[in-house]
Amino acid sequence: MAAHLRFQVCVYMMMFVAIVPFQLKLVQTFSSNVDYCSDPDTIIVSLPCSQRYLSESYFEKHDSLLDLDFQGFLEHELSLCSCDALPDSANYVPTISTLQRHLLGEGSHRHLSTLIKFSVQPEGTSEIPAHSCQAVVVERLPSGIFADPFELQHLVQRGVFIDAVVFGDTNLELPSALSNRSLVEVHMDVGQNILLGNKKGLEINLDLPLHARYPPLDKSGYSGVEMGLPDIFMRCITTEKTQRNNCIWIAEAEIADANTSHVVWSIPSGKNEHSGFVSSITFASALLSTLIIVLSAINSPRIHSTKDLKQP
Amino acid sequence: MKCDFSSVVIFSVVFRIVLIIYGEWQDTHMEVRYTDVDYLVFSDASSLMASGLSPYKRSTYRYSPLLAFILLPNSFIHRSWGKFLFSASDILVGLFIRNILKLRGVPENLWLISMGAWLFNPFTFTIGTRGNCEPIVCAIVLWIIICIMNGYTELDHSPWIHITHNIMHLDGKVLQAAFWYGLVVHFRIYPIIYALPLVLILNPRNIQAGSKPSLQTWSGSQQKSNQGSNGKGGVSLFDSLLPLRSLLTRERILFGLLSASVFFFWTYLFFYLYQWEFLNEAFLYHLTRTDPRHNFSIYFYHIYLHHEHEFSILEKLVSFLPQLMVQLVLIFCYTQDLPFCLFAQTVAFVAFNKVITAQYFVWFFCLLPLLLPWSNMNLRWEGLSCIFIWMGAQLHWLMWGYMLEFKGKNVFVQLWVAGLLFLAANTWVLIRIMRQHNLSPIFIESQKTSVKSATKLH
Repeated sequence: MAAHLRFQVCVYMMMFVAIVPFQLKLVQTFSSNVDYCSDPDTIIVSLPCSQRYLSESYFEKHDSLLDLDFQGFLEHELSLCSCDALPDSANYVPTISTLQRHLLGEGSHRHLSTLIKFSVQPEGTSEIPAHSCQAVVVERLPSGIFADPFELQHLVQRGVFIDAVVFGDTNLELPSALSNRSLVEVHMDVGQNILLGNKKGLEINLDLPLHARYPPLDKSGYSGVEMGLPDIFMRCITTEKTQRNNCIWIAEAEIADANTSHVVWSIPSGKNEHSGFVSSITFASALLSTLIIVLSAINSPRIHSTKDLKQP
Repeated sequence: MKCDFSSVVIFSVVFRIVLIIYGEWQDTHMEVRYTDVDYLVFSDASSLMASGLSPYKRSTYRYSPLLAFILLPNSFIHRSWGKFLFSASDILVGLFIRNILKLRGVPENLWLISMGAWLFNPFTFTIGTRGNCEPIVCAIVLWIIICIMNGYTELDHSPWIHITHNIMHLDGKVLQAAFWYGLVVHFRIYPIIYALPLVLILNPRNIQAGSKPSLQTWSGSQQKSNQGSNGKGGVSLFDSLLPLRSLLTRERILFGLLSASVFFFWTYLFFYLYQWEFLNEAFLYHLTRTDPRHNFSIYFYHIYLHHEHEFSILEKLVSFLPQLMVQLVLIFCYTQDLPFCLFAQTVAFVAFNKVITAQYFVWFFCLLPLLLPWSNMNLRWEGLSCIFIWMGAQLHWLMWGYMLEFKGKNVFVQLWVAGLLFLAANTWVLIRIMRQHNLSPIFIESQKTSVKSATKLH
């Protein structure tokens, strides 16, 4: 009886829980998600330079990611970003001396490892205010590959990246034929006062977890998905008295070594020629199993009523 | 150590707590998480709800908002709250198994073994502690069975039920079962397949208003089976179908109306709050889901090979037909032995589904212990061989799945063949269980009604 009472209590508790969901329109602020919030430190005046994510304003104007549109966005909007704190800011444009990329691991879940070496050679001796810098890497992913925003969020929480975001088609389940392209923007710390020059050079290593979508059917059984080159930026925030300023440079590559920077991901794909026998055998097996279960159920021993029991 | 009810429950509870604590440690210290990725989805959805936002802002959240709601304490008590809740439901399933078997007169040693088959099944205790919500659904399904078995007198002391009964002449058991049934279908949809057997079991010969239905006991059914149960002259459901008018009884209509009202109440309420986002994610997605990515279903490769064009109505019908036929036949053959009927239905439903993931197996694992005492299967030989065949087919599939997903090998054909073998294994095991089961109706027919109906016929 006591046990039964305990069941009842549990069940009524569940019923209570089920009945009152709407009394709790909680007013807590949602602040943990990297995707939705804006950082007050970086909000200054103009767009997109001062936005938290550089690619954000592109997706405010475009529904999908197209290389030509994005190139235009880089040339026309990001290049206009002013940098008042550094009068000769054009002199500080970082160059990329090395860009090496590899796909690590096997299968549908791999890491794209990118080694970037910057060289910053300040010209002139003008005074540079104190500043801290981030390398911003933007990967325009082909439609066959996606990054999981929640996995990136986990890496941000663990301190691997300063910030990360995915724009575009974030449906993680669709095959590539039914999905659109997405873009990943990752922010990594490169240190303080780097514009003063660094004899050793600056080096960052980005390990980006990526996942393959099911590719379109292909005769060869594999579909090659080529990763383009990333867009790399240097973003420095200077603090001078009460004024904060946000400087962004598009990093220029000194060399473009096709051997070390182009990456192709070979993903297994279904073969069109399988369609005929796969469909017919699939349905035949389903019908056969159905038939066996139905016949077994009909021929299985039936229930006897208690009336039958009482008859000798 | 003596293995009794208390020690089994205490050990199960402590074991689950240890697993949850270990999970926290693994999540913090190892790259591979112990926590189920779905739990992170529920938790994110719940924290969005706590902020006054829609839980559907979290992509891949495809459940009722009720789930996000019951996980609200994840945000302000501890992130493991949900795991404790799911594991508590998992323990509750164990207790409900005991309750049902005791109601059916199963001796202690047998119900203890059956309870252990759930509580110590490695598959089930990891599911709850990793943060999968299925144990809640299992607990509600078993509670519905208990409500139907218990009958009106169990709820005699509830003033609410008493007043309702006096005013509307409703039966407590129907109210309870219908309420939970409407809720569970809203919560997880798949229990919709139980609608017909649940309505059919509310047979006026079994259920009499104001009196507790007589349950068939385990010893009674064993005796009956010893007297030879291979004849075919028993109470078939076809009997009860003959007078069509008798199908529309008050109990059945009430059950249908109330459960539908509860279902539509929650569904409308959440539609009002979250609009189409809710209907698309929590319902339409599951109803129309055709996943081209590899899963245990035999249909996955067929779907992938045709994913670039829409399926014709004929194709959809042909793939739905096996599911429908098997469900109907199992219902008409086994409804009177309700737990067995639900088990067979669930195994078949999962086996023929267009998408099968490992968490679906819990749906029938919770019903399996309810039939163990009625099985003639020799556990040492036939039982073990069934387990090995089922597990072997699954491991074989997992091996090819690993080759495709983690090694990048094109093994679609092998994986599809492994899916066919898994269907064959499911079919084989289901048939073995069906053939070795002593079919036993949960209720003894009411003599009064039988006599009355017999008189009417004369």
